[in-house]
Amino acid sequence: MDLTQESTDADTANLLIQVGKLQRRLDRERRARLEAEAIAEKGLRELYDRQQQLLLLETIATQANQSTSVEETFRLALVEICRYTNWSLGHMYDVVAGEPSRLVPSRIWHTPSRAALLPFLDDTLTREFLPGEGLPGRVYASRMAAWLPDVAQDDNFVRHATARQCGLRAGLGFPVLVGKEVVAVLEFFSFDKLQPDAQLLTVLSQIGTQLGRVIERQQSEQKLIHDASHDPLTGLPNRLLFLDRLSRAVARRQRHAFASYAVLFIDLDRFKLINDSLGHSAGDQLLCEIARRLVDALGTERSADKTSAEGSSAAHTLARLGGDEFTVLLEEIPHPSAAVEIAERLLLALRQPILLDGHEVHTGASIGIASSATEYASADDIMRDADLAMYRAKTQGRGRVAIFDPTLHDLAVERLSVESGLRRAMRDKEFVLHYQPIIALETDTVVGFEALLRWQRGPTDLALPAEFISIAEDTGMIVFIGAWVIQEACMNMARWHREYPATDQLSISVNVSPRQFTQPDFVAMIKQALNLSGLAPKFLRLEITEGVTFHNAERAIVVLEHLRDLGVRISIDDFGTGYSSLSYLHRLPFDTLKIDRSFITAMLEGNESRAIIQSILALARNMKMEVVAEGTELATHVAALRDMGCKYAQGFFFSKPVDMPGVQALLQRGGSLAGP
Amino acid sequence: MKGIVFNLLEEVVIQEFGPDVWDDLLDEAQVGGAYTSLGNYPDTDMNALVAAAAAKLGKPPEDVLRWFGQQAMPLLAKRYPSLFVQHTNSRSFVLSVNSIIHPEVRKLYPGADCPFFHFTDTADDGLTIGYESSRDLLALAQGFIEGAAQVYQEEVEIKQLVCPHSGSFPSLRVEWT
Repeated sequence: MDLTQESTDADTANLLIQVGKLQRRLDRERRARLEAEAIAEKGLRELYDRQQQLLLLETIATQANQSTSVEETFRLALVEICRYTNWSLGHMYDVVAGEPSRLVPSRIWHTPSRAALLPFLDDTLTREFLPGEGLPGRVYASRMAAWLPDVAQDDNFVRHATARQCGLRAGLGFPVLVGKEVVAVLEFFSFDKLQPDAQLLTVLSQIGTQLGRVIERQQSEQKLIHDASHDPLTGLPNRLLFLDRLSRAVARRQRHAFASYAVLFIDLDRFKLINDSLGHSAGDQLLCEIARRLVDALGTERSADKTSAEGSSAAHTLARLGGDEFTVLLEEIPHPSAAVEIAERLLLALRQPILLDGHEVHTGASIGIASSATEYASADDIMRDADLAMYRAKTQGRGRVAIFDPTLHDLAVERLSVESGLRRAMRDKEFVLHYQPIIALETDTVVGFEALLRWQRGPTDLALPAEFISIAEDTGMIVFIGAWVIQEACMNMARWHREYPATDQLSISVNVSPRQFTQPDFVAMIKQALNLSGLAPKFLRLEITEGVTFHNAERAIVVLEHLRDLGVRISIDDFGTGYSSLSYLHRLPFDTLKIDRSFITAMLEGNESRAIIQSILALARNMKMEVVAEGTELATHVAALRDMGCKYAQGFFFSKPVDMPGVQALLQRGGSLAGP
Repeated sequence: MKGIVFNLLEEVVIQEFGPDVWDDLLDEAQVGGAYTSLGNYPDTDMNALVAAAAAKLGKPPEDVLRWFGQQAMPLLAKRYPSLFVQHTNSRSFVLSVNSIIHPEVRKLYPGADCPFFHFTDTADDGLTIGYESSRDLLALAQGFIEGAAQVYQEEVEIKQLVCPHSGSFPSLRVEWT
């Protein structure tokens, strides 16, 4: 082995070492490259995933902001989430509020694998969940997303059997929130077992918030629409909605002759009186109760809000137009008399007394009906006619149903002219008082007069109250007319006392209307009339009917006691015709009781009336009340009343109501009835 | 073509023939040879490398491609295990190529020009696979499928269907045995 050989071997060894180093260096570089590539790939993959998530979120957010349809938005969200996650089924649950709330399958679902998932889909779409129950119930109760890597391994997963049958493994659900309230739950399923993905859950919770905004917006839109078309007090449709439905019914009828309909116009009797005397809050309560009764009474009819098409009943829309006016639109009336039958049923429901703040209130209603039997071109026309029919029902006596017929138009026109005539009469002082003497039967002398209103419409046209007083009551003009009557009667009686000192103990009786009595300043008005006229209070007798005090006895007692404290006398008018209740009579400070003319007229026909009169007289004696018999027209009436011990009477037998000169003539004779 | 394909070819050549052979191939094909999986390189590089290998081995280029595919699949399984563990057999794995594997590729390389496979079930639980691509690499696809069968320890028989109808795609008939 020579040196050269040795050095060559050494060189070779060195070279090998060198090669080895280089190979290791190369290997390091290669590993570094692979690691760099892996890091870069991981970054790229994450970046891609993130971009896709943002894209998903953006797609759904854009839809959520643009769309007005909740269904469309949720459908798109399900499609997009399935596409993004590659999950195979997405489904939405609606939350139905209640105790407890329920999760009810919506019709909104999406799957790219419908055929494979039919059993599970059937199971899902027919199953409801309670809070805490199953996957959706858990999401609802916790208000948080839930991820089940494998539903087969989960103890609280209800749809095991069909999930297994279809090969579904992973499941996830997340809530759709409005504030803190869960308004819907979305669930997704995959054929693969999958571990929770925190990044995805974050995106889904953001989606849940976006979708919540859509529902929130829809809720507030629906509330706006509902509020605009419903009465806030009773929750019933308002005039706007009612007229809209009616217009549709009118239009439908014009296309299809069989599309019959009818409008019921309901007006509460005595509502204004109750409202005035018990206050607005009680009035509101009353309206709500009335609405409830009407709803109940219509219950067996089909509400027009519901789409079910059932048998023979009519579809109805009950509305409150305002004030105490309710209307019902009946559509598809099975037979013409159905509208009347329904109206009678409504009247019956309203006839039962209502308890308001401890007061038993009797109300009732008058109902006018107009129907498509008269062909109408517009909703306004049929409303006007139903309204006219209602007025007819009212004037015929309360608690009635009237059907529109064309002659009602003429009546309406007349009514309008009376109303404007009354205003003119007030302005031009066309009202006058006539006076009917009240006679002491023992002495046949005049003890006072009842003031009676007349309307001098023209030089020879003298109208009696029957022609105009109900209109004055309805329009509220009675309050002004009544005040004038009291003022005028007091002035005249005070003047007669001064001018005819021989008869300065005569009293003046004045009728008080229910509407007048409920005015808050009624007592003050009486005081003023007495002060201005200078008439001593004991000469003023206010005549009120039982009905006046009936609705609010507590207030009536207070007012009447006030008046009695003033020294004014109170008569109960038309006694025996109203809801006479003895216990009630006992509580009210009446001085005088006036027997209704109907008993006097009937006295000759039988013993029954005579017995009633005798009872009334006995009652009055016991209660230390005076009695005046009204409507004494014949000598036999007078004789009988005298026999029974009745002390006072008025009627044609003694004198018709007379005008001012007539009164003065009578007083000049010292109150003696015998004419010159 | 994606750098990853060149990396795989390099790996299988070195694994089978050693690093010198790969160097020779690069020289003979007259290509640059510095490939990273993140990069994108001309298709002509791949064609030249395959041609050089075919000349060296005295085999048609199709056979080289097929062999490449068979050898590459186990390497892919090592590099991207998550794409494989979700499947219990190669049939299921092969069927996921359009919906999972290539979408994964596109996550890394937006705009990657991946082929599309048209799958049709056959009566005997086999598949007919139509190959739609801008490249002529049907043999590579065949090799990949055979490699996949190997990963799942299955036996597979693949025939290229001759005379495909005009307008239809070149196809493979795959039977698991």
